[in-house]
Amino acid sequence: MHELGVVIEVVRTVLDFAERNGVTRIETVVLQMGELSSMVPKYIEDCYPAAVYGTKMQDTTLRIEILPGNALCGACGKVFNLLRNAGGCPACGSEEWELLGGKEFMIKEIAAR
Amino acid sequence: MDAFKILEIKKSVYEGNDARAKSLRAELGRDKVFLLNLMSSPGSGKTTTILRTIEALEAEMRIGILEADIDSDVDARAVAKTGTRVIQLHSGGMCHLDAEMTRQGLAGLGTEGIDLVILENIGNLICTAEFDTGATKNAMILSVPEGDDKPLKYPVMFSMVDVLLVNKIDAMEFFDFDLEALRERVLRLNPKVRIIPISAKTGEGMDQWADWMRAAVRHCKES
Ligand SMILES: Nc1nc2c(ncn2[C@@H]2O[C@H](COP(=O)(O)OP(=O)(O)OP(=O)(O)O)[C@@H](O)[C@H]2O)c(=O)[nH]1
Ligand SMILES: [Mg+2]
Ligand SMILES: [Zn+2]
Repeated sequence: MHELGVVIEVVRTVLDFAERNGVTRIETVVLQMGELSSMVPKYIEDCYPAAVYGTKMQDTTLRIEILPGNALCGACGKVFNLLRNAGGCPACGSEEWELLGGKEFMIKEIAAR
Repeated sequence: MDAFKILEIKKSVYEGNDARAKSLRAELGRDKVFLLNLMSSPGSGKTTTILRTIEALEAEMRIGILEADIDSDVDARAVAKTGTRVIQLHSGGMCHLDAEMTRQGLAGLGTEGIDLVILENIGNLICTAEFDTGATKNAMILSVPEGDDKPLKYPVMFSMVDVLLVNKIDAMEFFDFDLEALRERVLRLNPKVRIIPISAKTGEGMDQWADWMRAAVRHCKES
């Protein structure tokens, strides 16, 4: 499991952002994760309380948005989901595609004051 | 009391590691130490390939090995038997190495006078591709029994490597493995990758691999 390390990195980044932007209270942290990322949302949620314990983020809520692992078919131009189509274009069967997204792991925003 | 407002951060979680990796790579460049990050699924032949590589190159350059198994030191002991400098990293149950752990490993190994360090990364094809270790170049091994469709399943890994070793080609006749189909799939994801079929068991293809390593290490010395 590698989620704890990255969640600690998330906490560090958010605390740093809060400090530099004069934020006094954080309510919610929103992450964006690609479907092709090796991070498991459930595990991220599981280790979040441990990572924020004793910090200014202790009482914050975590929200995770999932971004699709989409590809653009090089043969027919269709945009399709890589995970649900076993790597090939569902319209024409071509294996020639370009990755559009799905590897992301971003801190999107926080709700704070 | 003020209401909560949305503050956009839009920052990749990998940014910190990417920055640390970049500075490690620059330092290695200045010290003229070539670091190869070797990745694969479990059992694809990383250790066997490392042993062969040591055999091929030890007369020409000074080599060090970083072994990063999760919880055993079997591979490190196999390497130590060759007399090569090796260190076992304790990744504490982690499934990948990041730039900070790699830096600590290099410090433990001691890179004084070393020309080439090979890092045997932890056996998995997913998260090892997401964490830049700071290596000069990235290599991956795909072994014949794993199948030629792996690039379809792990596009992230195949699109980031500089060299792909297709190992266990001695076993080709027992598997339904189409080398040409693999080549096409990989080149579509990564047109610049160098693909070298090898057998770490029989030694086939090891000359080409040793040549690639030699040229890469020489380039590191000269730049
Ligand atoms: N037939 C054949 N077997 C090989 C070859 N290379 C490695 N093997 C065998 O594959 C098995 C795994 O090889 P290792 O070198 O230990 O693989 P690894 O990637 O280091 O494995 P982990 O560190 O456990 O992830 C061993 O039994 C090797 O003898 C090869 O080219 N051909
Ligand atoms: Mg090994
Ligand atoms: Zn199509």
